[in-house]
Amino acid sequence: MIVGPDNYVALSAVLFLIGVVGVIARRNPLIMLMSIELLFNAANLALVAYARSWVMNTGHIFVFLVITVAAAEAAIGLAIVVVTFRRSQHVDVDEVAALRG
Amino acid sequence: MQLLLIWLFPLISAVVLWAFGPRLRSWAGPIGSALVGVPFVATVMLWRDATLGAGVHVPLVSWLPGWAFGLQLDRLTLIWTLIITGVGFLIHVYSMGYMDGDRAYARFFAYMNFFVFAMLTLVLSDNVVGLLVGWGLVGLASYFLIGFWFERPSAVAAARKAFVMNVIGDVGIMFAVFVIVAKVGSIGFGDIFTRFAAAFTPHELFLVCLGLFIGCAAKSAQIPLHTWLPDAMEGPTPVSALIHAATMVTAGVYLIARFAPLWSASPDAQELVGVIGGLTAIAGALLGCAQWDIKRILAYSTMSQIGYMIMGVGVGAYSAGVFHFFTHAFFKAQLFLGAGIVIHALANEQDVRRMGGLWKRMPFAFVAMFVGVLAICGVPGFSGFFSKDAVVYGVLATNHPWLYAVGVITAGITAYYMFRLLFVTFFGAYRGAVDPSDLGIRHPELAGTSASSGHHAEEEEPHQHAPSWLMSAPVAILIPFSIFIGWLDYGGANAPWQRFFDGAFPRAAETTPVLSETVSTVLVLLVVLAGVALAYLRYGTSAAQAGAVDRLRTETIRMPRVLVNAYYFDAAYDVLLVVPARAVGRWFVRTFDPHVLDAAVHEAAISAQWLGHLFRSFQTGLVRTYALSILFGVVCIVAYYAVAFGAGR
Amino acid sequence: MIAFWILALVLIASAVFTVTAAKPVYSVVGLLVNFIALAAMYLTLQAEFLAVIQIVVYSGAILILFVFVIALLSSGTRPFEVGPDKAPRIVIPAVVLALLTLAGLTVTALHTHTAVVLAPSTGGAAGDAGAFGSIANFGTALFTTNLLPFEVTAFILMVAVIGVVLIAGDVAPGEGAPPRRKRRANTREPIVKDTLVR
Repeated sequence: MIVGPDNYVALSAVLFLIGVVGVIARRNPLIMLMSIELLFNAANLALVAYARSWVMNTGHIFVFLVITVAAAEAAIGLAIVVVTFRRSQHVDVDEVAALRG
Repeated sequence: MQLLLIWLFPLISAVVLWAFGPRLRSWAGPIGSALVGVPFVATVMLWRDATLGAGVHVPLVSWLPGWAFGLQLDRLTLIWTLIITGVGFLIHVYSMGYMDGDRAYARFFAYMNFFVFAMLTLVLSDNVVGLLVGWGLVGLASYFLIGFWFERPSAVAAARKAFVMNVIGDVGIMFAVFVIVAKVGSIGFGDIFTRFAAAFTPHELFLVCLGLFIGCAAKSAQIPLHTWLPDAMEGPTPVSALIHAATMVTAGVYLIARFAPLWSASPDAQELVGVIGGLTAIAGALLGCAQWDIKRILAYSTMSQIGYMIMGVGVGAYSAGVFHFFTHAFFKAQLFLGAGIVIHALANEQDVRRMGGLWKRMPFAFVAMFVGVLAICGVPGFSGFFSKDAVVYGVLATNHPWLYAVGVITAGITAYYMFRLLFVTFFGAYRGAVDPSDLGIRHPELAGTSASSGHHAEEEEPHQHAPSWLMSAPVAILIPFSIFIGWLDYGGANAPWQRFFDGAFPRAAETTPVLSETVSTVLVLLVVLAGVALAYLRYGTSAAQAGAVDRLRTETIRMPRVLVNAYYFDAAYDVLLVVPARAVGRWFVRTFDPHVLDAAVHEAAISAQWLGHLFRSFQTGLVRTYALSILFGVVCIVAYYAVAFGAGR
Repeated sequence: MIAFWILALVLIASAVFTVTAAKPVYSVVGLLVNFIALAAMYLTLQAEFLAVIQIVVYSGAILILFVFVIALLSSGTRPFEVGPDKAPRIVIPAVVLALLTLAGLTVTALHTHTAVVLAPSTGGAAGDAGAFGSIANFGTALFTTNLLPFEVTAFILMVAVIGVVLIAGDVAPGEGAPPRRKRRANTREPIVKDTLVR
């Protein structure tokens, strides 16, 4: 069968959802950040698929930007994780609940 | 212009005394009395103008078409104003002696003047709204004055009772006034009397008159709204004299007389008023036979006499009823003031069982009360004779034989209990506890001065008793009036009184009476003599006086319960109204307030708290739940797009 | 095309493995496989430059960064992920909402207008300088039409570097970051030495 952009987009959606569930269901901050990377990549896949479908560069540029931002965000996120959990017993986001009201 | 001053002087005096009372001290009495005396003089000066045609009319304020307030002084009003200011002035002077040394001396005169102002408002108004305002203010003044010694719980309770019952009457009269004004479209008496016939059906007229009469019944202590009057004797004796004998309680009579055209057009209403008047007359008289408090006896006699007046104006004998008011004001005031002298001298003793033998020791008071008693019984020659006969005969002439009988019998009972009062109080041996040497044996005019113990409930500092002429002079002035004023109605249709009121009232529907006037007079006289004889036999003979202490004790024990309990009216009201009202109040306090009102407030607080908790539960502090809520937001956005754009290709 | 389906399968499997792995290192490996499969997927979409970028930047830099941090945090015998789970069973609503999102997306995607189904690529041969997806094509677009985003990208990266240095850098061994010194008494845990230096 012909693999159209719909297939790629569906795949992107599935990846996105796996990532989302990963963010919510895991307590290790590192795995959460990795799940966030999954989210970015899912979005990238959709963008590339549509760029190919419309035969336009814009999608690729956008993906470029997304990758950049993802990199920056990963760096800073990891820095925060390091700083937060440098002295703590467990590496568990549930322990960082100081905003509890 | 003088009319305006007549009306306002008492008010000015009341305000001044209210405001500056403590500083004025004993000047309050003269000021208060003077500012009632001056209006009296002014009223006398206006006599001629008032009797000409429609009288004096002073328009004051005109708001809307049909809403014009003003003062008027016609013949009916003139009579009332003379009594209010004249007898009022005498009682003010008397009060200067009676209330001397009282801590709240100035406040007393302020209230008394306020009462005079209120009563004048009532009678001087040329419109029904002013009358209503005066009506209410008079009730207020009565409340102030009954509860004057407010440290006494009994006085406070009596004042409250009087006020509440007056309010019940106020409801009736207010509705009637509202209906009248709404239907007639104007508040002035002139307009009302010319237009009411066209505006009302007979049934509506009856209801309006009924409403007016409810007000009368409350204000004039007629059955069934009479129970406040005996309790109102908690006030100082001058108050009882002025308000509850001479003026305020006669406001109902004034109302009926003023609205004579309306009443005459509604025979059913007249029947009702006449019947209740008669009923009250005899009921009050019977109750008077069972009392031991000198003021209560007089209170019930007032109730009974006003019953006469109401009966008189009710059946259409307007000038007779008004004449009885006129004479009654004098002799009842005299009786009260005389009783006040006795009470004052005996250190506030009011129980007649503890009096006796005072005719020798207080001859002046004895003479005063004796004259008053003769007047009220209708002994020929005295004023009450003429007025009572006029009323009773008027009732017969308008074809009310049963009411006539009631009137006659009541006259006999009146004679009985008044002479009972006289014998028990003034004859026999002294049964009381006050040292007899204090009673001013040699100088009767000293009764009520520092020669007697002269305690008042509120005295604190040593004081100079006022000279007693303040108390005896007014009484002395009243005596000739009680005797001679009755002759004004002598001479049938040519009597000065009749000529004075010629044409002022609608003619009553008169039939040829069964008895002639002479026969009626003789009949009444016989009944009165029978009453006097009975009283003499029971209390006046030397045998009766010898064993007085035992006799009175036995009589106290054997007094019929129904009379002692005033026909159980008080008990009935208590059960029907007071107990349920208290129960409702208790329910509100115990159930409604904590469980509904407080609970509502509490619930408001709790729900705010609950809402807070609800929102707080979102703030877990956990990153994952925040991520979940973000996902939820994503779902919402996707749903929006799915719905908005997914409908079709 | 068969490539798509195989790659799709690999992508999904590795993603699931990443999310459910017991240890973070396993997750990193799973993610690596995911990225490589994704790069291959880009190739099927004629996005050659992006495929390379994906490998170089994502797998080569970001994942290495992850590995370093894992190493940083897991020194010693300190276990990962202990402590009570304060939101147990949160995965249930997460999955439910996720499926709802999927449903919504599917509905939207199916019903919206789509363009030509994968038109044949313009310019067929690899190495053709102006072909769609080639580096020349991409570069031209990046430096002409989309110059501003390019500059902004640089700016973002600079900000990220500064941020990282500020947040986690400049610490002498054995101490926390200076601002944290004052709050030392507030930490619930016993004060342990900085584990970087042993």
